[in-house]
Amino acid sequence: MNGYGGNILRVNLTEGRITKEPTPADVARDFIGGRGFGIYFLLKEVPKGADPLGPENKLIISSGPISGMLVPGGGKCDWTTKAPLTGGYASASMGGHFTAEMRYAGVDSIILEGLSPKPVYLFIDNDKIELRDASDLWGKNTIAVEKKFKDQYGEEYQVAVIGPGGENLVSYAHINHDYGRQAGRGGVGAVMGSKKVKAIVIHGTKSIPVANKEAYRNAGMALYKACKDAEGLEEWTKYGTTIVVSWCDEVGALPTRNFSAGSFEGGKNLYGPVMREKIVITDKGCFGCPCPCGKYSRNKKYNSYVEGPEYETIGLLGSNLGIDDIEVVAQANLLCDDLGIDTISAGNAIAWAMECYEKGILTKEDTDGLDLTFGNVEATFTVIEKIARKEGLGALLAQGVKLAAQKVGKGSEKFAIHVKGMEQSAYATHNATAMLLAYMTCDVGAHHNRAWAITYDLQVGRDKVVPEKVARVIWLQNFRPMFDVLGGCRLQWVELGIDRDLYVPALEAITGIHRSWEELDKVGARIWTLTRLFWARENEGFGRAWDMPSPRFYEEAPTSGATKDQITKVEDVNKLLDMYYEQRGWNSNGLPTDETIESLGLKAMVAL
Amino acid sequence: MPATLRLSASLKILLEMNDEITVQAGSSVRETISLHGIKPELVALVSVNGVMQTKDYIIQEKDEIRLLAVVGGG
Repeated sequence: MNGYGGNILRVNLTEGRITKEPTPADVARDFIGGRGFGIYFLLKEVPKGADPLGPENKLIISSGPISGMLVPGGGKCDWTTKAPLTGGYASASMGGHFTAEMRYAGVDSIILEGLSPKPVYLFIDNDKIELRDASDLWGKNTIAVEKKFKDQYGEEYQVAVIGPGGENLVSYAHINHDYGRQAGRGGVGAVMGSKKVKAIVIHGTKSIPVANKEAYRNAGMALYKACKDAEGLEEWTKYGTTIVVSWCDEVGALPTRNFSAGSFEGGKNLYGPVMREKIVITDKGCFGCPCPCGKYSRNKKYNSYVEGPEYETIGLLGSNLGIDDIEVVAQANLLCDDLGIDTISAGNAIAWAMECYEKGILTKEDTDGLDLTFGNVEATFTVIEKIARKEGLGALLAQGVKLAAQKVGKGSEKFAIHVKGMEQSAYATHNATAMLLAYMTCDVGAHHNRAWAITYDLQVGRDKVVPEKVARVIWLQNFRPMFDVLGGCRLQWVELGIDRDLYVPALEAITGIHRSWEELDKVGARIWTLTRLFWARENEGFGRAWDMPSPRFYEEAPTSGATKDQITKVEDVNKLLDMYYEQRGWNSNGLPTDETIESLGLKAMVAL
Repeated sequence: MPATLRLSASLKILLEMNDEITVQAGSSVRETISLHGIKPELVALVSVNGVMQTKDYIIQEKDEIRLLAVVGGG
């Protein structure tokens, strides 16, 4: 089948059995790859009510047709599962070089199922595929394990590995790769840990069949040329995502002290140029990327190296904790990466605990004696360790802010910043209604990558609640995640502004199937609807209430910064949802109607 | 000799404007872009002759200024 490795690799960990199945042509046609494959297999194979950390849940790792190809940014793979953090749908996108090796080993998806009785790692070298003993690696941090495998097998072998966070089933444990890239959100690392899979080591040398070699070469080169010629390539490459720090601070979007404000008095010390000058030593990109956003840093203060920090981490482990030192943020970043926990959720959890402490809801008896005030660096480092090991306060915070706040109570639920149990990524949304809606309706919880609409808020008016904003969010939600379906990175489009139509001939040359963006957007809408149906299937009473944001964004205006005294009214929050559901073809409780399911051709999938 | 102001592709798409504008020296970037209908808060980065500057930078003759928006957000 043109454009595909051709195989689904199924690893039954309970029985230690490994099988290969041909990638179904109809699934490739209808779901294309990546997170499309993920939601297909999740709905089809994970039974209703499965325990996210039990044998019935599966971890589905999928590349897409542009992964590992001559297409800018073809270095992404999708990790789909039922999320330990939320009990709903999880789909984490990981960059680096892992997905290319999957493709060259002839694998489109790896499905991990069952539970291994002992620690193992999955070794794949083309058709040599084995589960190998990892007892001696259990308990070790991610970087040491990756280095061990690189030393043992060679640099060309790619490694995805969990740390103590994943082993200890932290609800937001991640999977680390290439020493600093992650499948980060939702607790995919905990699912891997529950299955006692410490790592996947992969290498392949096979070719991927393409439908039209000459057209493929021409389309690929056109995409690279567009990136090379793009105005802004130089600055984007120099600063990566840290470009946005100063801007967010200026417009009141930089999360500050548990999202109580959107501008930080110490923000200037975290801006991109400061970081570039102070710690960055080189740029680091994923497979085939012409505009590497990764920044590799030498941290003199702590005598350490780290990939990053990137914007989300600066926001959540910096300003959101009241920390204004980029070297401290870089060190906190390294700790999270090495221990195997998501920086976004960890930053939220620690900020929530700091606010609880400052308000007297938590005392030193609850914090293991730590003075958990905002800005306390040593306490931050200690709590990160405690979370990964589920020790003391860390055991509470390892569950995520939603459950932690439910347990602690005393009004702390109001400043637990999450949607559907997933902690909010680094954009304060006190007065940015499109961005707020994007968080409220994101299919994994409060994550920004599906629809990033805050610039649109500034363009048309921050507090406006109009159908055009809702339509924009929906269009972005259908379109942007298509890059996670295709197995590529969206940043070449979103930041360099290259014409998305350039991808159409590349995809056609690779797969032999012409798909316009109009058609691809429809595939995006189908996948979006299926993820919603998965949430509803797995959570009794799922509906509108699950889409509400933290009350912090509609009850409590910031007292300082660019959004001082600005807030979204709760009636506007509900109006946004009303318009969103109507435009999506969902009922007033936020569930897809039968007509919508029918019109998207999803009846057969719903029956699964 | 006027200065040149160039918009990144992402900003050009966002604003539906031409990618190059000729501007006069003597005013700040903030004032100048406002005059051309660009909301300053939409601009994330100002690069003048390859060096990052604030929006309060006073435009000099022959300056080559690049404006970047952030439309993707990582």
